[in-house]
This record gives sequence, structure tokens and C-alpha cells, in this order.
Amino acid sequence: MTFLKLVVRNLLRHKVRTLLTVASVLVGIFLMVLLRSLDSSLVAGAAAAESDRLIVQSAVSLYVDLPLSYQAKIASLPQVESTCKWQWFGAYYQNERNQFGQFAVDPEALFDIYPEVEIVDGSKEGFLGNRRGCVVGEQLITRFDWKVGDTIPLIGSLFPHPDGPDVAWEFQIEAVYRPTTTNFDRQTLFFHWDYFEKTLDPRGTTPPGMGTLVLQVAEGVEPTEVMAAVDAMFENGPQRVQTTPEDEFQAQFISMFGNVPLFLASIGGAVLVAILLASVNTMLMAAREQTYDIGVMKALGFSDGRMFTLLAAQSMVLALAGGGLGIAAAVVTQPGLADLIAPYLPTQYVVGTGTLVLAAGIAVALGLGAGAVPALRAGRLRCVEALGSTE
Amino acid sequence: MLVPLSYNVRSLFVRRASNLLTVLGIAATVAVVSGVLALQQGFANLYAENGRDDVGVLLRPGATYEGYSAFTREEALKLMKSIPELAEDENGAPLAAMELYTAVRRFKRDEGETNVPVRGVQPATFRVRESEFSIVAGRNFEPGSDEVIVGKSLLVRVPGLEVGDVVPINVTPFRVVGTFACEGPHESEIWGDLDRMIAALDRRGPSRIVGVLRAGTDPEALATRLADAKETPAKFQTERAYLSAQTAMLSAILGLLGTVLGLIMGLAAVFTATNTMISALASRIHEVGILLSTGFRPFPIFLSFLFEALLLGLLGGVVGTLVVLPINGIETGTTNFQTFTEVAFAFRVTPAVIGTAIAFSVVLGLFGGAWPAWRAARLTPTQALRRH
Repeated sequence: MTFLKLVVRNLLRHKVRTLLTVASVLVGIFLMVLLRSLDSSLVAGAAAAESDRLIVQSAVSLYVDLPLSYQAKIASLPQVESTCKWQWFGAYYQNERNQFGQFAVDPEALFDIYPEVEIVDGSKEGFLGNRRGCVVGEQLITRFDWKVGDTIPLIGSLFPHPDGPDVAWEFQIEAVYRPTTTNFDRQTLFFHWDYFEKTLDPRGTTPPGMGTLVLQVAEGVEPTEVMAAVDAMFENGPQRVQTTPEDEFQAQFISMFGNVPLFLASIGGAVLVAILLASVNTMLMAAREQTYDIGVMKALGFSDGRMFTLLAAQSMVLALAGGGLGIAAAVVTQPGLADLIAPYLPTQYVVGTGTLVLAAGIAVALGLGAGAVPALRAGRLRCVEALGSTE
Repeated sequence: MLVPLSYNVRSLFVRRASNLLTVLGIAATVAVVSGVLALQQGFANLYAENGRDDVGVLLRPGATYEGYSAFTREEALKLMKSIPELAEDENGAPLAAMELYTAVRRFKRDEGETNVPVRGVQPATFRVRESEFSIVAGRNFEPGSDEVIVGKSLLVRVPGLEVGDVVPINVTPFRVVGTFACEGPHESEIWGDLDRMIAALDRRGPSRIVGVLRAGTDPEALATRLADAKETPAKFQTERAYLSAQTAMLSAILGLLGTVLGLIMGLAAVFTATNTMISALASRIHEVGILLSTGFRPFPIFLSFLFEALLLGLLGGVVGTLVVLPINGIETGTTNFQTFTEVAFAFRVTPAVIGTAIAFSVVLGLFGGAWPAWRAARLTPTQALRRH
């Protein structure tokens, strides 16, 4: 009987116990990968952002809009290639709980500035040609069971329809997008600025303001130079602005989550402690039951080191099996979870290679840690004691 | 006849090293679940408990929260005068105030920026808030001046808001002259004079009206009447209903997180408990044989093992709860993504949290013990006594 076979036989002696231990390591490693991925998806989203796209917003408050006239002034700067205004629309679909991002934008500029917005159904031309058209993220399509051609009624909470607060704004789905990067929201509805402005104010007396203005810096221009130029333009009001690169803007947004990353990390820590305890426990039980066998083998002349390895190897096999399955589970469930979590996360849920490597490392450490105590005990065990054992 | 409970307690003690590890494993699970619940409770209670039933909130029809709501000054005045349900002060004026709600960007003490809520208030606001509002440092702002007061919860998280500091709102500098306490979400806000705020932010009027309701007011009837009003319709809610609605989303997320983590970690804990009980059974199989041959029926033996598992779970639950208790009262904060503004709150280990944690731990124990207990009960005396 080869040594490895002995390890496997010992594990199979209590199939249920082995199975349960592998399963609990699986669960622990899976959960750890999940939590760390949530955390790193938040951070990675910001890292994937572009730094030559700048966001101009009120320096004072997110509740303060910028005058529409700012767009022409900023666009006239030679360092600016194109601009796109965004206005948060703040409406809901059917029920107040069905909230998602909706923005009135400059339709052509949106596609110029954001090449990562890829149309997967319907057509860009259809959207551009229909003033009441909208382009929606593919996740909204699945969430609400919409399709291209549908008319979507939205009740304006921030911008009530001028005909009355209960009157819905209507948008026709002309295109569906899927972002090619992870940091672009996958469930937003974009519609024509023109439709927004003309519906609110048909006579054009008091045009609405814009929430933010996104600008694309011209090729070869240093973004910081543009930032300073834009900020200086409106230093004395009427509304002061703050211009930030997109990556910083997203990082700021993520920092608004406060202690959430720390919180996730603490939970991850508790999970690790729990699975470590469970594995050590199982190994101790297994070792105690093998006391007699070890006594026999030692009596037959097997070395202390050999016995140490026998126990340590069992622990390692359990940890590696559980860890491997946990990692596999995390990878397999990634697309499904990404869809599930999308409404709550500003960036896409991605399981990174770094996290997987870390998880594999933890599984190995777990195997070593859980095996150490029983293996040491097995190594030191004296024949007479072991053979006298009643267990 | 039942197997004496002391048998289980002693048995647990005999295998104490292994049982301790199991208990700690369950404790970690329970601690995580109750930690998340404590966070959720702290957040939800901050809003719901401090919302008053005798205070009404009026928003523009269709607005889901005050940041989305706006009235012109004339509309607001007309509304305040047209609601007989509002209580009156000694001069016969309605005990109600217009408020402007907005937020300013500030840096946090730990890195990053956040949106700090700013409220423009009227002198009547302090009459409405008489029972919960107090100045704890400095003084209140002078009506009509460019002065503000800051909620004390905010000071912990956002620097530069001490008495004497200057907060620019758009191009107007406002001086901080006091710190106030006001249980609830208001304590994370900056308050200043309504008219100065409207001017500084170039707004047309207030965001909402708050007022004290006369005793016996039917909120639903009032809400229907105001929604259908021809001239100046408005959306009416009691303050408690309004604030509860603001936390629905984050509360739901935390509740979901707690449930998911509880289920996944609970699964692992059940596996461990099962392992422990299987091993307990294996080492005591002789004793089971003796019990059976001395006339104990299988069912009491099943109950006995189940009880032992329950005890394991319960111990884990108690340890887990004890571990979590110290976080009670720890201040933290996040952004409420329904309003996009900063809110400070404390972990709250409420009786409901402890109750849930203990019940959860018992369930974990029972689930873990069920199968080994069933196996123990199915043994025959000869089988049990023969096996070594």
C-alpha cells in the first residue's frame, strides 16, 4: 500500500465527516472570495475609469445644477474636444421602489465620449432619430422584461411631468447597450436632452440646469491644465464648479460607502476563523481515532516523521479539495451573482485573479494550520500510549 | 423515560477541546449575523424611532423625498395657512416652518468627500423641535445672518465644522456659531437661516414644510385631502412615515446581506456541528448500547443527542452574542444612497438582534444534531455494544 493510498483510505474511513469538512471549507473559501471580490470590484471600478475624461459639477453641492450657458463656454476652450451634459432625472417605473439611473444627455456626444457603450440590440441611429427614444442598459431589459420598441412610462419624482405629478413621461426603447468596461453602470436609461428641456419648458423661458458636464480632453493635452482652466472660468460664480478626472470622481463616489470595505473585510476575517476552527476540529477528531493505528505503524517501525506527514497530508488534501471547489464555485457563480448584485453596486462584480490566488494561498495555509497540531501529536506519540488508547 | 440532561452536560465537558472549537465556529457565524443586524437596526432605528407621529411633512406632489421637492414661497405660505390640522402657537400662527434642504460637499476625516445635508430653517422650526433640540456648544444662529449651527454627530466624521470655522455655501461664507444635539438624522446636518440659504443657493423657495399636528388628526384623511386640493396640492406624510421610507433601500440591503451571510455561514456551521456530533456518537457508542440495554427507548436517545447538539448551538450563540455586544453604540456612518447624503449612526445590539442570534444558533445546533441523533436512535443494543 503506497503512502498516498493510506492518506486517502484514512480520509474515506469516515466518508460523511470528510464530505462535511470539505463542504465547510468550500463554503468558507467561496464566501471569502465573494466578500473580497465585492470590495475589490468597488475599488477596481474606479481604477478602470479614464483620466482624460473630466467631470464638471457644482463645487458646492450635488443638489445644485449648473447654468446651461456653461456648456458653450467650456466647449469653446481649444483643449476641449467634445462635451456632454448629464441631468439626473430621478423618476421611477410603476412603483417607487423601482429606481435606477435615468439621465437626460446630449445623444450624439454620449456615444462620442463613451466608446465603451456598445449597442447590442436596436440601433444607435434609431435612438438618435427618435426624439422620444431612449437607450437602456441590458440589465434593465431583463429586470423589467422590456424589449426594443416598448414605450416606457416613468413617473417623475424630481421632474414631474408639466401636465401633472401623476402623468408619466414616456420613452421608447430604441437601443440596448452593454458596456465593454466594468466601471460603467449596466442599468441606466439615457434619453434626449431636447425632449427633456422642451417638455418641461415648451416656450424656453427658464431652461433647466445641468447636473454635470462631461468633457473629453483633446488629444495631447494635459488634463490638469484643462481642469484648472475650467475651474478658473467660473471662480466668481454665479455657480462655482469643480472639475475632476473621471477616475477621481468615481473614487469619491466609492468613498461615500464609508466603512463598507472595512466591514466586508471583518466579516471575511470571521469567516476564515470559523472555517479554520472547523478544520482543526475535524483533524483532531480524525487523529484521535487513528491513535491506535499510529501506534501499530510505529511499532512496525514507521518513523515519527512519516506519521507526522500522514496526518498533515490528510489535512492538506481536505483543505485543497475544499478550497479548489470553493474557488470553482466562485468562478462559476460570477456571472449570475453579477446580475443579482448589479442594482446595489455602482461597478460590476468581478472575481479577480488576485483574489483567486489569495484564496488558493489561504487554502494551503489552512491545510498546514489545521494539520499541524494533530500531526505533531502523531509524531510525538509513544507506541505504548497509542496502543493502550481506547478510542 | 428520558435520558437525564446532566448526562449531556457532562459528555460535553468530557470532549471539551473539540466542543470548544465547534462552539467557537458557531459563535463566529452568530457574531457575523448579529453584527450585520446590529448595523441594520442602528440605521433603521435612527430614522424610524426618531420620526414623530405628531409632526407632519409636506412635499411637492410626486416627490419621494425632500431633496426632490420644491415649493415657491407663495405656495408654501398658502399651504401653511390652509391646513386647520396644524397646531397653533400662542399668537394664533400655525406651528409650522418652511425648510430648504440641500447638501454641500465636504471632505471626511477618513479620506474622501461626502455630501453633508444642509437645512435652511425658520424660527418656527425650533418651536416644532422644542422637545428634541438643544444647543450643546456655542449659541444658536441669529435669524437673517450668515451663521450656521452644526449637528454634533457630524463633527465626529467631518472636519472643519467647529464653532468659529467658516463653511462656504456657493460664494457666500457662513460662520459656524454653535453645535446642536437633536436625536435622529437631523443631528448629521448643518442648519442655517432659511432666507439666507435660499439667497446663497439661488433657489425659488423652500423644499418642504414641517408642522406640529393637532391631537386627533387623521393623517390619511389629511393626505387624501391635500393630494386632491385644487389650488395648492401637496404630498402629506407623518414624519415617522417619511423617515421610514428614506431607509427602506439600505435597510433592505443590510437585511439581505445578513440573511445571505447567515445562510451560507450557517451551512458551514451545521456541517461542523454534524461532524462533532458524529464523532461524539462514535466515541460513546458503547454508552448508547448500555443505555439501550438498560431499557431506554430509541426516542429518548434521539432526544438526548439532539439536546446535546442544541446545547452546543446555544453555547455558540451566547459566545457569539457576547463577542458582538461591545460594538453596541459604536458610531459609524455611510451615505444613504436614497438621498446621497451622509448619515451618522451607531450599531445597536437590540433585544431583537440578540433574540434572532440565539434562535439562529439553536436552529444551527438542531440541524447539525438531527442526523447523528437519528443514527444513534436506530442502533440496536447488540450493534452498539459489539462495535469498537
